[in-house]
Amino acid sequence: MATHEQGGADMRRPDEAARRKFDLGGLAIAIGLFLFSALIALDASSYPERRSYAQIGPEIFPYIVAVGIAVFGVLTVVMARRGDFPEREALNWVPVIWIIGALAGMTALLYAGAGFIIASGVLFGGAARGFGRKPVVLTVFVGVVISALLYVLFRQGLGLSLPAGLIEPYLNALFR
Amino acid sequence: MDTFTLLFDGLLVAAQPANLGFALLGVLLGTAVGVLPGLGPALTVALLLPVSLSFGATGSMIMFAGIYYGGMYGGAISSILLNTPGETASIMTALEGNKMAKDGRGGKALGAAAIGSFFGGTCATIGLAIIAPLMVKVALSFGPAEYFALMVLSFLTVSAAFGGSIIRGLTALFIGLSIGLVGIDSLTGQARLSFGVPELRDNIDIAIIAVGLFAIGETLFIASQASTINEKLQAVKGSVWLSLAELKRCLKPFLRGTGLGFLFGPLPTGGAEIPTFLSYSTERRTAKGVAREEFDSGRGAIEGVAGPEAANNASAAGTLIPLLTLGLPTSATAAVMLAGFQQYGLQPGPLLFTSNPQLVWGLIASLFIANLMLVVLNLPFVGLWVKLLTIPRPWLYAGIMTFASLGIVGAQGSAFALILLLVFGILGFIMRRFDYPLAPVLVGAILGPLAEEQLRRGLMINQGDFTFLFTSWIALTIYAVAIAAVAGPILWTKLSKRGRAAAEALHEA
Repeated sequence: MATHEQGGADMRRPDEAARRKFDLGGLAIAIGLFLFSALIALDASSYPERRSYAQIGPEIFPYIVAVGIAVFGVLTVVMARRGDFPEREALNWVPVIWIIGALAGMTALLYAGAGFIIASGVLFGGAARGFGRKPVVLTVFVGVVISALLYVLFRQGLGLSLPAGLIEPYLNALFR
Repeated sequence: MDTFTLLFDGLLVAAQPANLGFALLGVLLGTAVGVLPGLGPALTVALLLPVSLSFGATGSMIMFAGIYYGGMYGGAISSILLNTPGETASIMTALEGNKMAKDGRGGKALGAAAIGSFFGGTCATIGLAIIAPLMVKVALSFGPAEYFALMVLSFLTVSAAFGGSIIRGLTALFIGLSIGLVGIDSLTGQARLSFGVPELRDNIDIAIIAVGLFAIGETLFIASQASTINEKLQAVKGSVWLSLAELKRCLKPFLRGTGLGFLFGPLPTGGAEIPTFLSYSTERRTAKGVAREEFDSGRGAIEGVAGPEAANNASAAGTLIPLLTLGLPTSATAAVMLAGFQQYGLQPGPLLFTSNPQLVWGLIASLFIANLMLVVLNLPFVGLWVKLLTIPRPWLYAGIMTFASLGIVGAQGSAFALILLLVFGILGFIMRRFDYPLAPVLVGAILGPLAEEQLRRGLMINQGDFTFLFTSWIALTIYAVAIAAVAGPILWTKLSKRGRAAAEALHEA
């Protein structure tokens, strides 16, 4: 299968030499797989020994999985070498960083005790900014308004417990 | 007759006002999200998993089934009007449907899609009601060896069928299996892969994995692509109601598509991709008269929409057979629905039919109702759905992110869940970018712990003797099917390469 995929890819692309270069992204994935495999094996080796009728303890499955991941790590290196990964578009970093930052920011704000509405507003604002909507002050403001509506809807309507912080106590007081 | 009394009881459950409401909600949400390009039913169900906890098991299952059917139809709308199939099930619909829309017959294409979906969905649901009890009888005799074999079958087929490469599929599966390991081992109490983090000692919630991979990962993937959708949105032209002559043209494609969809849906070949492709190529090959001319001239033939649309909804019903009777998901949406069952501590399988007949038959009955709702809602309101396609992307995806995190925070009650959500989001993004299939991760994480339990229980009963796995004929047969399922797709791509190339060439023309 791999070989005919290769054939198909080559037919479409004349710059075969460029294609033959090592796919560094694929190689990075392979390294990640090796590290992950080692981590699982390391964890499994730390379990205390036990003997039972089954002669198969909690460490057996992790070892199987670790070996499996290592094997596919090797195969990933082969895929990267042979250029079996499909062609990728140029990566647009900026929006990706905005969105990851927005979610990380929401997490940090929740840990800091800012409450759901502000934290979720920051997520909404950051994500909208990531997709190109400016200015970020506006998107965060829209986010806070929408999050406040969602908070009331889910807290009062469905009884979902969302973390309270700076704004939420006042809103809850309104509905008491 | 027994089936029909059970089905009747199911109808009583499904007809309760609350459950009708859940079905309606599911159909509406499914269509709405299905319409949006790039978002399929799997993502919709995943998004609603955490929020639906307060709806009760029956209610949320009914809603999820509505989403499944609704998502299939919603995908047809964006395929026809925008030429951007939201998911693999709608790719074939876009071929003729978009040409019809450009030819000013978009309304007819939408009508054929709606009626085809209804026809395929209803017929296949009847099939489901008849076949499921028979499957249950067989499955009741299964022991650990057979179940383990079934899970191996599920692992291999889900990895082989999704995406282009078996190596990438199996890698995704092993990543899923490793995620399933996290937490306390159910048989010995040993904490695995927890690294002293208390939140990791409980297993990672499937909702976090599903929402992270599908919602966050997909959003990141879409944001990372410089090129945006450049297809023009076609206005709905012409009546959506089909004339008698047009219905007559559609009848045979409906029947053939339904048959193909129902046949392939339960097989672990990855849902609707293969049956819709077969249906399209059959219609194209056998077309005569006006249809032949329309296929060849590029004006778009109604048969090419009718067949695949009947096939994809029929396969959705077919997928529910192994999901309900054996607990085996054969598509991404089915995998997320399985997570939904587990959220309520329910394990789909033969026992569910005896322990929870209300839920199972209520679900099956509500499929009929959901189908009826779809055809009633969608023919007149298609203009409303099209409006959704005009929401600016920043607001749309910001809203999806917000809703995803709200569900996770609300259900988990901790900010730590958001860290996991981000980790799985980035994982999903990387996998999408390098063309790894996502469904095997989910299936591995869900079925992995169950497979391990069956294996270790079997070993305990048999005092550590591994050979018990290979003494049952049923188990051996299942292993044979599993091997065939891995070898099959390789043959399939070889055989269909010509047909697919032809379809792609036409698509680009």
